[in-house]
Amino acid sequence: MRLPKFEYVEPKSIEEACSILSDEPSAKILAGGTDLLANMKHRVEVPSILANIKRISGLDFIRQDNGAIRIGALTPLKRLYKTTLVTEKVPALSSAAASVGSYHHQTMGTLGGNLCQQNRCKYFNQSQWWRSAREPCFKVGGGICHVVNKKEICYSSYCGDMAPILLVMNAKVVLANKGDSREISLQSLFSGDGKTPLDTKKGEILTEIVIPEEALNSFSTYSKFANRESIDFPIVGAAIWSSVQRKEHRVSFTAVDRKPIRARNIESVLKGRDLSEEIVEEVAGLASKEAALVKSSNYAPSYKRRLMEGLLRSTLKKAMRRS
Amino acid sequence: MKQEIALNINGDTHELLVSPNQTLLEVLRDNLGLMGTKRGCDLGACGACTVLLEGEAYLSCLMLAMDAVDKEIVTIEGLGGRGNLDPLQSAFVEQGGLQCGFCTPGMILTAKAMLSEEDHPTEDIIKKRMAGNLCRCTGYKKVIEALQSVSEQTAEEE
Repeated sequence: MRLPKFEYVEPKSIEEACSILSDEPSAKILAGGTDLLANMKHRVEVPSILANIKRISGLDFIRQDNGAIRIGALTPLKRLYKTTLVTEKVPALSSAAASVGSYHHQTMGTLGGNLCQQNRCKYFNQSQWWRSAREPCFKVGGGICHVVNKKEICYSSYCGDMAPILLVMNAKVVLANKGDSREISLQSLFSGDGKTPLDTKKGEILTEIVIPEEALNSFSTYSKFANRESIDFPIVGAAIWSSVQRKEHRVSFTAVDRKPIRARNIESVLKGRDLSEEIVEEVAGLASKEAALVKSSNYAPSYKRRLMEGLLRSTLKKAMRRS
Repeated sequence: MKQEIALNINGDTHELLVSPNQTLLEVLRDNLGLMGTKRGCDLGACGACTVLLEGEAYLSCLMLAMDAVDKEIVTIEGLGGRGNLDPLQSAFVEQGGLQCGFCTPGMILTAKAMLSEEDHPTEDIIKKRMAGNLCRCTGYKKVIEALQSVSEQTAEEE
């Protein structure tokens, strides 16, 4: 499968890359390329310009700064389980990185690219030929959704493996725009709109991920169910962060909605309580109510609901054993 | 529009005229005739197109040729040939780690990258790192045995 034609540029600085994005709305940033180039081969993404930011220095780092861990957007996923600072301070981030795709994807793919990956849908991640049998859907610029009828909403799901664990750690991201930059919560990076999953302004580029110090001294973990255990996107993924001292437990899910979600209802039930078998059973039943599942993947919503429940139960029990 | 680039492949510099939308895999096979690198799924799911880029395992089907400029690329042709096989290649032959051989270049290069990072990988680590290289005929047992024999060999030499 050939790639479509595009203009290739190698900006020398983030400012230059931001200008390219704001001057040309259909330009795209190329980092690891493992998500974007596969989508381009399927012709579901056809950017006019690809701006390769890998030649810009200073975007690939892991360091601790005033307690917080700061990770450059271009840091390869593999580095997250090969760097002692991460494996010691945030082991759950290391194991989440090791669960992404295959070893090759972990070598090529970057943390920023993983967070900014395209949403997925069984009617979207298909070749041009496969898709030609149906009317084009909202996600590729058409006027219909094959998953949910009669609504002008794209129901593709966000399936990233890195977002859930960073969400429960209340991570922030830095978005650069020309000379300027702003820091926002990771949660607000996601729009919840399947068609344009990222809520960024014109010309903005994700440059840095910040894990606050308060997240580092508590237990956290990410687990996922996937078709092929070691190399697939999650059918459902769940992360928790649990602080015994603060009696605070945070829960997030991926691949269940148009964006990665925090399970706020479950969190409020857990707030102020110590984890116990009974409480775990109590909230496990609430898991599936956190997302309105649709049939955007090959797995039935009823099956995914059971997976959400199972993952919540097993991750909370892991936290219980640790404390 | 085609552009002139230089790629460092298996120690030689190749000056080439490529289009920006050509993948490294296409350039290796179509422009240079290095057919050892295989085109499998062409979407990054099978590992058959694995090459070494600065010693790391990269999927050449998901990499632009332009992106590989200034990087040291090694394909299976650069690893060893008749008479001077790489220890990994010999191990695949001796342990019977292949049948049709289509996945073998990717398998060997992924293994090469892994062994350069992990001194003595456990079976579990070997399985995890090799999971992105699919084989449709022999199964994986003999591949794993081949890798283990190489890692044991280097342990003995130390």
